[in-house]
Amino acid sequence: MAGTTTTVGRSFPRMEGRAKVTGRAEYVYNLRLPNMLHAKACRSTISHGRIRSIDTSAAEATPGVHHVVTGADICKVLPEPFYGPAFHDQPILALEKVRHYGEPIAVVLAADPHVAELAAQRIVVDYEELPAVFDEVEAMTSDVIVHEELKPAGTFADLKHLAGKRDTNLALDYHLRHGDADKAFAEADRVFEHTFSTQQTMHTPFEPMIAIADVRNSAATVYTSTQSPSFVRYELARLLGWPESSVRVKTSHLGGGFGAKVYVKTEALALALSMIAHRPVRLALTMEEQFYTITKHPSTFRIASAVDKNGKVTARKCEVWWNGGAYADIGPRVTQKSGFTAAGPYNIDNVSIDSYALYTNRPPAGALRGFGIPQLVWAYESHTDIIAREMGIDPVDFRKRNILRNGRMQAVGTVVKDGEFEAILDELAKRMDWDKPFDRGSGTVRRGRGVAIGFKASISPTTSSAIVAVNADGSCIVYCSTVDMGQGSDTAMAQIASEVLDIPMEKIRVVNPDTDVTPYDMSTLGSRSTFHMGHAVRLAAADAREKLLALAKEIGLPEGHNTPVPELFVRKFGMSAGAIIGSANYIPDFTPPNYSTGQSPNATPFWMSGATGVEVEVDTETGQMRILRMINVCDIGKAINPVVVETQISGAAVMQLGFTVSEEMVIENGQLTNPSLADYRIPGIFDMPSVMESGFVAADQQNGPFGAKGVGESGTFGVSPAIANAIEDAVGVRITKMPIKAEAIYRALCVKQGRELSDD
Amino acid sequence: MKPFGLAEPASLKDAIAMIGDADSGVRPIAGGSALMLMMKPGILQPETLVSLRGIEPRYSSIETAGDGGLFIGAMTTLRRMELSADVARHAPVVTQALRRLSNVRVRNIATLGGHLAHGDPHLDLPPVLIALRAKVHIAGRDGERQIDVEDLFRSYLETSLDSGELITGVTVPAQGNRKSAYIKHTTRSADDWPALGLAVSFSLDGDVLRDVRAAIGAATDIPQRLKSVETALEGKRAADALQGAGDAAAAEAQVHSDARGSAAYKRELIRVFTGRVIRKAMESAAGGTI
Repeated sequence: MAGTTTTVGRSFPRMEGRAKVTGRAEYVYNLRLPNMLHAKACRSTISHGRIRSIDTSAAEATPGVHHVVTGADICKVLPEPFYGPAFHDQPILALEKVRHYGEPIAVVLAADPHVAELAAQRIVVDYEELPAVFDEVEAMTSDVIVHEELKPAGTFADLKHLAGKRDTNLALDYHLRHGDADKAFAEADRVFEHTFSTQQTMHTPFEPMIAIADVRNSAATVYTSTQSPSFVRYELARLLGWPESSVRVKTSHLGGGFGAKVYVKTEALALALSMIAHRPVRLALTMEEQFYTITKHPSTFRIASAVDKNGKVTARKCEVWWNGGAYADIGPRVTQKSGFTAAGPYNIDNVSIDSYALYTNRPPAGALRGFGIPQLVWAYESHTDIIAREMGIDPVDFRKRNILRNGRMQAVGTVVKDGEFEAILDELAKRMDWDKPFDRGSGTVRRGRGVAIGFKASISPTTSSAIVAVNADGSCIVYCSTVDMGQGSDTAMAQIASEVLDIPMEKIRVVNPDTDVTPYDMSTLGSRSTFHMGHAVRLAAADAREKLLALAKEIGLPEGHNTPVPELFVRKFGMSAGAIIGSANYIPDFTPPNYSTGQSPNATPFWMSGATGVEVEVDTETGQMRILRMINVCDIGKAINPVVVETQISGAAVMQLGFTVSEEMVIENGQLTNPSLADYRIPGIFDMPSVMESGFVAADQQNGPFGAKGVGESGTFGVSPAIANAIEDAVGVRITKMPIKAEAIYRALCVKQGRELSDD
Repeated sequence: MKPFGLAEPASLKDAIAMIGDADSGVRPIAGGSALMLMMKPGILQPETLVSLRGIEPRYSSIETAGDGGLFIGAMTTLRRMELSADVARHAPVVTQALRRLSNVRVRNIATLGGHLAHGDPHLDLPPVLIALRAKVHIAGRDGERQIDVEDLFRSYLETSLDSGELITGVTVPAQGNRKSAYIKHTTRSADDWPALGLAVSFSLDGDVLRDVRAAIGAATDIPQRLKSVETALEGKRAADALQGAGDAAAAEAQVHSDARGSAAYKRELIRVFTGRVIRKAMESAAGGTI
């Protein structure tokens, strides 16, 4: 499919770039509707408790307040007010219990947002506080139970067996058995075991979540900053018991998403509030409120390897505990879909994986740029590096001895095809001059370098639909529900339509998702859009091209004619009129995994991979670490737009750098202490590596659109372990907990020197 | 954020007349960078803010005395100070500190007066100005007064300003051949508020240190002098006194564990950075360009 192309493969400037830098791009956060009310929530100040009473009298007495709404009021308009993509476990407003700090309990509606905010502060909630559980491993055996009963959604066949399970925090367990790991461990020359953990972080999209709902009679319109317009429509229609055609979900460009805005977030509450108020209602979260809404899973990963004397890994056992917080969101899918790659991109004959999704009393966790992969790579690439060092084998060489090559079967039972794991490792080593001598510093400033490689399977099976219209003047409109949240998908889709139809880029428009207009798409997530929607747009454009050929034939033109497209329409319709509509659905082949073995011969349509190398400098007197150089190399198949690909890779790497060294949600005494950008530190310009390179290898995803595959997450994979590996290389200490702060390095250095720093 | 009224007086005198007691709900605003962080979550809910942006231009100016002393008006933005050739010539340590103070967007609006009046220990200039023996000019209904910068800070977020008083400017005395340096350490991100700031200033008599001033910020409840460090260094050669000065600083500073690090870690940082800031000052040019 990758033949010669003219538009695909060129770095066209982003279609929305000028509008964004001149401040004219549309965002839902800026939208105002006539007669609109503003909603402000009163949120839980404890992490777990029974609600004894909610006193709304002072709020109701505040001049300018239209309504004060509690969970009981929501039940009057939506009798089953529970939502969630995997489990119907999340109430629109808390009912009887609160399960995490910051959970919404009541909402004030007012025409003036300041009045709503003031009145929300006047709501008094009386709690019977309950013990809480915050740690994912403790949650496995804790007496504290977050949900009395599991309530899986009907959408996933493989979750049905969980319905009605009681008194457990285990939302989903996933198991994979490949070969005989126990036997291989018994026969191994060397055995290694380590445990690694990651912290809770947040996506920090700079346009916070926002929904404006306008419900009139039997039709609902919801304007929302969502990555999943089709799913929001489905879920709201389900809550209402209405056909999907009665729910319209519209979005614009997003000021970032990163997985925070998938599935339902603010939309169900905004919908219910509009039904109660009979007016449009705007529910706009603050940056602070985003910390209470969706986060990245903290995790604990115990990993063990059996290795022979030649440095070949013969078996790996992986146990992963995912801290999903109080509501499952898409966490169970993270557990399973990411879980099966937990042994790393290596050719290992015997693999055993146990992956557990746990409920705890933290704010909910879901998808965040990598869908669990960065947590896994952190562990398996730290572990792999320790093994190489302890066996005296060069870390790159050790990885190459074990790397998973095309044609070999991955642990899930699927043969790898078009996965350039070895090629990106080789390219990384080359760019890092790995074979050349390295200046290791002296005195109190020591230098080291490290590499890491991770991989991911595309989430399957998912569907994308597209419509491509050719107007009578020869211009073209692409209708698809892929959301451009900054990743440049509009430009990529336009390039694909341009390529197929031979219509120049400046004559192509991509419509913002609007479920009344743009057809179904599973969601913009998991680096799936280029592949899935890319195919749908390609096929829809090809359909339009066939119809144009048929039209030419119908009006008597010979094959190979060069009559311009506008002329075809004039000849057919007597004037510049009519339209050619091409459409397509795309779903890749997929075989679901067996529940007991986790095996599937066709688990993914494509494999993504990313490798990171860093050179660091560590101050041995303070533990302070500086990244002198960072190189990221990914396999992205063939690039639709090389410049956009490079910025996707560097953006992903910088985001993961923040998660690696500074970002951390801190819960003390059941309260989140740092829900603001002042105290939750994301990287700034001075935190960037002094030198940063992002690149990709020559590759071809043969079943992809024009040889392409997804790239949005691959730049995150290797960053965290590469840094930890480089730190060990520099100063000989191993950090196993994220984030890697200067104090943690300093304390490890103290231990190495035989002196323990006090805990005060 | 709760809505508020905004007054924009054209003179310092009018501004002082408008500002009432601390609990009157009428508060001054200069750049507002710190104030907004307190107002957004509702920690501070003033009825009226009195903007100082319209007061006499003298309070936004930087003046140089014949001997090299500086007067910097309270409404001078940190960015103007950072770019000032006069500040760079006569107090290069101030320019250096400003370059890594928060980020340029904050420096573009934050003012020197607000920076001091906020009383937050996690700021960069207080220890620097204490080490330079700078004075704060204060005006109120009862007239004007001057105090040493070190006497401005009472406790966490509390200053010795009376209600109704405003900072009008800072004078930095002529530094002559004195050597100065400032080092800070951030632990969460490069532009975070520091976990530790250390400033030192002294004269060199041959290779002997004289008239030493040392000050600490961020790690302690208030920015303050480190008198034990001054004593440890006074009349000594730097090379002989670094270790003792570091130990003295770590022993003297009252530090607490917080989100930026444990107390034990901060004491180690103080020990290490005391030596480093003295060495940095030794290596610095006295006055002149930076």
